[in-house]
Amino acid sequence: MAEKITHSICVGGPIRIHTEDGVIRRVRPLVFDETDPKPWKIEARGRTFSPPKNTTVSLVALQEKDRVYSYDRLKYPMIREDFVETPDGKNRNTENRGKSGYRRATWDEALDLIARETKRIQKTYGKESVTAITSSHHSWGLLGYKLSCFKRFFNMLGYTRIMDNPDSWEGFHWGAPHTYGYWWRLGGPEPFDLLEDALKNVETMIMWSHDPDTTRGGYAANESAIWRHWLKELGVQFIYIDPFNNFSSVKNGDKWIGPRMGTDAALAEAIAYVWLTEGTYDKEYIEKHAHRFDEWADHILGKGVDRTPKTPKWAEEITGVKAADIKAIARRWASTKTMGGSGMRGGFGGVCRTANGTEFARIMVQLFAMQGMGKPGQNMWTGTTGAPMDYNFWFGGYSDPKSSIASAPVADYTPVNEVQQVLYRTNLPEAILEGHYEWYGEGFCGGSLEQQFTEHVYPLPGCNRVHMFYRYGGSFFGTMLDTNKWAKMYKSPELEFVVNQDIHFNPEGRFADVILPACTNLERYDIGEFCNSGNSGYQSHSQTGNNWQVVVFQDKAIEPLWESRSDYWIFSQLAERLGFGEKFTEGRDELAWCKRFWEFSDLSKRISWEDFMKKGYYVAGVPENWERHYGFRWFAEGYPCDTPNHKPCQEEGKLGTLTGKFEFVSESLLKYAPDDEVRTPIASYKHSWEGHKSLLAHRFPYALISPHPRFDYHTHHQQHNKWLWEIPENRKVVNGNPYQVIRINPIVAEKKGISEGDIIRVYNDRGSILGIARITNRVKPETIHCYASSGIYNPVVYGEISADKGGCTNLLTPSQLMGRKVPGMVPNTTLVEVEKFEVPAEYGQGFEKILEGVK
Amino acid sequence: MRYGIAIDSARCMACYNCFMACKDEHCGYSSKYSVAEPHMGQFWMNIVEWERGDRPGNIKVATVPTPCSHCQDPACMKAAKNGAVYKRPDGIVIIDPVKAKGQKEIADSCPIGAIYWNEEEQVAQKCTMCAELLEEGYKVPRCVEACPNQALIFGDLDDPNSEVSKKIAAGKVTQLKGLEGQETNVVHLNIPGIFLAGTVYLPEDEVAIGAKVTLKCESCGKVFETVTNWAGDWEVDNLPKDKKFDITIEMKGYRSVKLSAVTDKDHFVEETILCPIL
Repeated sequence: MAEKITHSICVGGPIRIHTEDGVIRRVRPLVFDETDPKPWKIEARGRTFSPPKNTTVSLVALQEKDRVYSYDRLKYPMIREDFVETPDGKNRNTENRGKSGYRRATWDEALDLIARETKRIQKTYGKESVTAITSSHHSWGLLGYKLSCFKRFFNMLGYTRIMDNPDSWEGFHWGAPHTYGYWWRLGGPEPFDLLEDALKNVETMIMWSHDPDTTRGGYAANESAIWRHWLKELGVQFIYIDPFNNFSSVKNGDKWIGPRMGTDAALAEAIAYVWLTEGTYDKEYIEKHAHRFDEWADHILGKGVDRTPKTPKWAEEITGVKAADIKAIARRWASTKTMGGSGMRGGFGGVCRTANGTEFARIMVQLFAMQGMGKPGQNMWTGTTGAPMDYNFWFGGYSDPKSSIASAPVADYTPVNEVQQVLYRTNLPEAILEGHYEWYGEGFCGGSLEQQFTEHVYPLPGCNRVHMFYRYGGSFFGTMLDTNKWAKMYKSPELEFVVNQDIHFNPEGRFADVILPACTNLERYDIGEFCNSGNSGYQSHSQTGNNWQVVVFQDKAIEPLWESRSDYWIFSQLAERLGFGEKFTEGRDELAWCKRFWEFSDLSKRISWEDFMKKGYYVAGVPENWERHYGFRWFAEGYPCDTPNHKPCQEEGKLGTLTGKFEFVSESLLKYAPDDEVRTPIASYKHSWEGHKSLLAHRFPYALISPHPRFDYHTHHQQHNKWLWEIPENRKVVNGNPYQVIRINPIVAEKKGISEGDIIRVYNDRGSILGIARITNRVKPETIHCYASSGIYNPVVYGEISADKGGCTNLLTPSQLMGRKVPGMVPNTTLVEVEKFEVPAEYGQGFEKILEGVK
Repeated sequence: MRYGIAIDSARCMACYNCFMACKDEHCGYSSKYSVAEPHMGQFWMNIVEWERGDRPGNIKVATVPTPCSHCQDPACMKAAKNGAVYKRPDGIVIIDPVKAKGQKEIADSCPIGAIYWNEEEQVAQKCTMCAELLEEGYKVPRCVEACPNQALIFGDLDDPNSEVSKKIAAGKVTQLKGLEGQETNVVHLNIPGIFLAGTVYLPEDEVAIGAKVTLKCESCGKVFETVTNWAGDWEVDNLPKDKKFDITIEMKGYRSVKLSAVTDKDHFVEETILCPIL
């Protein structure tokens, strides 16, 4: 028996792969050896805190083997059986997409067809008539990632780019920069060295719309779980505010507050009211650092235009949270050293994905400012980031332009997309079906505040609409809102040709004309760093969510299974057929590209390429007296900013707002969007268009909360790994179908005659899903909880728009955005009704169709 | 030398890493200590969870990773014929995959349901504590290695200085239902008992901070005292089961309130509003 050990990284953390005789035998967490550096130490409150000498994983990492050999792997290139290659692109039975079976094709046949269609469509309608997009994080590594080889290929081809939206933190992205800048961090706060600060100083943690044991710092595995246990041991009080008494709260919380969905901004305003009336805020700090605070205080105290004091009693009526509880939290927060925030890195969370999300995010920042944000123990920090790190060691993350084969220096030649037309992901179906769409902003607005207000129209004047769609990696069925619209889009003859390149036979792949089977990370070469999303763009230094900074040589454990191929191989082959093969590869194979990332990073100064490949990983380590750069301390204490990834304004002691201060009345909104009714100059709670005060609430009385999933990562595991179906809090298999758990309050259950374990239907005008009833006091009577990103989409009438047994919650969520000028999606602004449901026998399982597709 | 695992429910967050690592190791792969675990349906590392509390005022979840306990005097060994179940010198209890063929009574004998019947192979099977890997030089079983929060600690129970022994000595040992009085090599720590809890308010929308709460059990003669915290909450955990408690809430300037509750399960007793003495 020949055993081989290789390494890789996935969204669940770094892994060590044992392969026996060419078959993957097991997947384990990374184990360090004696040559690896010592762990950092933090001295605080008479104790020494130090992490264990290994990295952690999350449950999705431990099923990577099963995901490789999964029953639903795409094995061969396939062509839809009723696809006809008509010369004009018409009459292609597009209405059967999602329903039709597939026939096996050879790679040559499939690639030749794609090349012919690409040429025909671009010749007929122009370069802009091809569009393409990828999912986030279905694989890991700087070579294969979407901003790398996919981007290189499509920039060379020329295509209508589809802008991503900040789908996990909309409210912070579109709101918070108007209060405290940090648009270059896409609205998120500075995490640097705040773990040490917390261990030394903090007494209360505000976990607002935050379930750290579930969202795990994004892709930081379970690295930070131990920190929160340390804080517990130190007697720190954890207050969880979430309509769902979430998994971290029921294990570690000291107090749970469950406001009505989407009303958190009112709760936050009432906290400010308590502080203002009791004088328990940092007046000196506010005097120095706040802009137009008095006008805002007038608004809170009822002296503003609405003449409504934002008293705890006022908030009780809106939120359902007792006024006494609001006062208690406000006083605890003001009288103890308090850190907190929202969601996985402090500027995320389900609340900011509601119609009121921008306002919530802005008031959150204002509350932390009122308590002297940046002073020891007073900060936006949610216990998931800010570990010690050697900031002088640089290896790029996936969003770093310098860490992509799409650009220099890793590539010799940087291709530039010659098409100016763009689309916007959230509303792609509207654009295709209605042939017209308008929106504001650049999707990810990390370049400036002004980027939030650019105007876009599709089709761009002088451009043609898109007629070919190339979809790569994973499924938006399950993550994008009003998913039935996506199904309708795919069935439209407007899309003459649809390609899907993926690893598994995912829900969305079943709508393609040609399916290309890509291989997993474990069947190809790549290179990447654990939890590094980029040190210059995105929310930089996300790897401070880890105890260790680890770069991994993502070695090939086995050869690609069946006829699957690496994404790089697939794009190279297409490039060759389209006449730019040599330009695309620059003569390099995958291993040669991997070496370039080593060469152009600090890794090459620390370890030779050969040693790195042999060992499989490199741990950067933290110097004993590492340079501290406490997030936001520079601002509170008035010294020149020294935090990594900072902007010139910070060196002058200013924030990234127009005034450089905390704007309690936003000058940027007054300047660029004075007519914005959603994101008003003074952030305030507003009843939402689909909330408890809307007319719709008469028909659909329950608010649906659908957070990021605990037992999956986006949609990337649930369909492929059946072990996940055996987790009782996740799914339950009934008659062969894995129904997703839907949580309802006992009062609702009694009213509707629903018992524990019954199959129930949750529905509204947009669609309906079936799931298994879990009756629990973890949700209030007005709320229903069901995780988003189901990963399984299994309509009861296969291929037709109908009730879904897979639990694709986003069939129910609205595609309406936050506001006319605020292009953020709001899955947690969804009203539904619920009923007990007897599943008719003819509904079948649907999974046999999936299996047929990959036979 | 006696191998054991300490499982700390206070540390466990039910992340399911141990569950997944166990499946990754044993599903589809046989060893000399077991036939292959079927892909679905068996849970050698079973995460037992239950919700605590009957009202939104105080809800917790208990999480107890439950593999085979590797009893010192195993019921399955007694139920087995032909020595089909044996105890290794290191304490690990093994079901011999050949000798145990056809002996369904082995699966049925386990008081905690940790043995599974493989219908296809007609054999009982369960957690091997990764004995096959420990022999190959692995330092800990797969579940312990995968635990990100040090809730699972492996080591030599006979060595008082081992990490596992120290952990057990410092913790609150709870025996699983069905294994009371048994010595086991898997030791459960900090499994929650029963709590009674409540929140105390004052008129005028205020929480009552520092109210004295006394819980008296007449039948067992026990008295527990606590005070309400910054949120007006009180809670006493790990109470004796199935007892009636008389609860008194006292605060200076307010009339005392008397409540009662039975510890049949975790209860959030009441949201109490104190009335001032006029």
